[in-house]
Amino acid sequence: MKNFFSLRMLDYFRRLFAMLGVDYPVMRRILQVKLTMDQRRVPTIFEQSKTKEGNQFIKSLGLYAFYGLILIPFIVFGDYYLFQMSLVFSMMMFILMTTMIADFSAVLLDVRDKNILNTKPVNQRTVSMAKVVHVCIYMTQVTGAFAVVPLLVGLFVNGVLFTVIFLIEILLTGMLIVVLTALIYIFILRFFDGERLKDVINYVQILLSVGIVAGYQVLVRVFDFSGLNIEFTFQWWHLLLPPIWYSAPFEWILNGNPAGYIVAYSILSVVVPIVAIIIYSRFVPSFEQNLQKLLQYSGDNKRRAHRVDRFFAKIVCKSKEERTFYRFSALMMKQEREFKLKVYPSLGFAFVFPFIFLFNEISRNGFGGLPGSKYFLTIYFGNIMIPAVVHMLKFSSNYKGAWIFRATPMRDESIFYRAALKAFLTKLYLPLMLVLSVFFLSMFSFRIVPDLLVILVTGVLHALLSYKLLNNQTYPFSRSFEFASDMDTAKNIILMIIVGLFGGIHYLATLLPYGVLGYLVLVIIAAMISWKLVFSIKEKKAQAGQS
Amino acid sequence: MVNQDEKILSLNNLSMSYGGDPVLKWIDLDVYPGQIIGYIGPNGAGKSTTVKIMLGLLDGYNGTVEVFGQDIANGDPSYKRKIGYVPENAEIYDNLTACEYLTFTGEMYGMDADEAERKALLLLDKFEMRGVFHTKISSFSKGMRQKVLIISSLLHDPDLLFLDEPLSGLDANSVMIIKEILAQLAAEGKTIFYSSHIMEVVEKISSRIVLLADGKIVADGTFAELQAKNEEGTLEEIFNQLTGFNEHREIAESFVSIVREGGS
Repeated sequence: MKNFFSLRMLDYFRRLFAMLGVDYPVMRRILQVKLTMDQRRVPTIFEQSKTKEGNQFIKSLGLYAFYGLILIPFIVFGDYYLFQMSLVFSMMMFILMTTMIADFSAVLLDVRDKNILNTKPVNQRTVSMAKVVHVCIYMTQVTGAFAVVPLLVGLFVNGVLFTVIFLIEILLTGMLIVVLTALIYIFILRFFDGERLKDVINYVQILLSVGIVAGYQVLVRVFDFSGLNIEFTFQWWHLLLPPIWYSAPFEWILNGNPAGYIVAYSILSVVVPIVAIIIYSRFVPSFEQNLQKLLQYSGDNKRRAHRVDRFFAKIVCKSKEERTFYRFSALMMKQEREFKLKVYPSLGFAFVFPFIFLFNEISRNGFGGLPGSKYFLTIYFGNIMIPAVVHMLKFSSNYKGAWIFRATPMRDESIFYRAALKAFLTKLYLPLMLVLSVFFLSMFSFRIVPDLLVILVTGVLHALLSYKLLNNQTYPFSRSFEFASDMDTAKNIILMIIVGLFGGIHYLATLLPYGVLGYLVLVIIAAMISWKLVFSIKEKKAQAGQS
Repeated sequence: MVNQDEKILSLNNLSMSYGGDPVLKWIDLDVYPGQIIGYIGPNGAGKSTTVKIMLGLLDGYNGTVEVFGQDIANGDPSYKRKIGYVPENAEIYDNLTACEYLTFTGEMYGMDADEAERKALLLLDKFEMRGVFHTKISSFSKGMRQKVLIISSLLHDPDLLFLDEPLSGLDANSVMIIKEILAQLAAEGKTIFYSSHIMEVVEKISSRIVLLADGKIVADGTFAELQAKNEEGTLEEIFNQLTGFNEHREIAESFVSIVREGGS
């Protein structure tokens, strides 16, 4: 097992841990095991070799570093720190919070630890601390990757003092996010139990990740852009926006602005994370106790009707077998928490993004100009989520149950793929688009009905392309979520560009007389042909020795 | 060797509930060194709950639990140093290799890493698993996993063993080895708490049988004692009788007839 760099760094703090009543060598050993497991994301079933160093994690850090480049303009752009750094920190909080929720909830809520670690003569405090440190190490790596380039740029452009403040504030932000997430879980765990609890956590996770995006919008609106000047008028509720706390010290120290509210923000930026940590440490024991609730089952035993599923199944599927698998897929999407956790936030974004871009326009020119304009094309931002969701169709936390696909006496395999994609389109995509359409129709008048149809059909086309590129004949729900992050970035970017392409052509079509109707006919034909091509009948092969 | 008269384990008036109905109702139980306790009972009788409480995995019980003479409610986990545990649902960090996992758990019990590794390899070798010492556990068969779990529970030479269905997934030959190991460990003065649903095994290996039903101990004694009290042949039959179950034939008949409905 590797002696991780992060652990060697941790060794410098061993005294501190000992003071907190933690058995440091034991904690270090637990962490070493956890970090080793994090690194191994290789399907061992196929790999009999000893260990294959998975560099998947390093790759993902590269991606974070790439995202970090977005921050650079805000850092070099000028010295209106309150505004610029608020944006920088809100982006940072967004990235940290979403990774924390998506990737690290499993660590915080792992109940396997209980049976393996707590049966050993190890004190509870050590186990809890190992958990916290594990999360912190991960967060430090992600934050580090995300912030390293902006920090360097800041050093060269804005000087040493800037960088020092930036670094400290980043650390405080990271702390705040980790503890905040943990506190939210503690809070939920206190009031709910059993299966309900898991559902609640699930929805909170989804809401949080969508809510942060909406929070952005509030933040930007706090500043008033009149001409070239950015004005900030203090109001008490601005104190509730953490990104501004973290931008205030820059304003205070670098711009020498000692206004009362600036000082107040700066104090908050330091005090709140520390208070949060103190509260957290108070609640940890009860957290561990309440975690036990996750193991209890109190499922109700009611028959669920699923009439809608049956209805759709009749409409969109030809054969009885396909209907069966359609209903199965629909159930999986509806009832599997991990699937929902990975997919619903994308759906949330898909819903929010069109409005965000639309509101930017409204705040500039008001509602009046909308009905005649082509801003309804922002709805294409809703289609951006398609590849990500289609990619997720391959995964399930119960992936081992996928033997059923092979065991069934069905000759035509394409039924599975078709049914899963149809279930996605009708159960997730269609409702989303319908709701979006209602809003857009109310803003743009019924004139845009053909356009909405075009968007819907390109959505189907896009789903087919994504399926072909990303999933190509992998059984749905047949792989572990462990591998869900191995998404081919190049393919993903191509698929993103395709959305733009569809939107672009659509825009051009609106310029021609009857262009949209012509385009609609075209995309319908294209969708029908590609459907046939993608799902041509495929005989089930004898696949021996695979699991 | 441990003193034969010393109580290894003592439950006093133990009761527990998860909010609703009590799962355990005022249980009293004393266990002495060298005993193999067959801990049996229908599903949901409270067997796992008892074991979890004794291992310190569950709080919120009433009554006292003493292990090696120490009240486990005092918050000091060091009593676990001399306990081995094979969990029922085979929870294991299966991304690790057998070597890594065993060394890790050994160290958690306070062993030295090299010593744990050396011993683990020797023990695995006895199960003819030397060749997979550095293979990830996730590629193991159910039986191999179970052997790793059993080794992990014994590596640190514990005085008290909690085994929850330890034979599941093992082939007949391995079962014979494990049964013999348990008998010899008991002869050395180790105490074994064995829960299982397989009555034939429990009947053969246990020196004392404790039957739990509906949160209460309904029978406690050697197999011979139970037989004398209940006028029934096998442990399975005694189990059926004590838990008031005698309609297995009727249920099976109607089950089969439903299966055959609409068939040819």
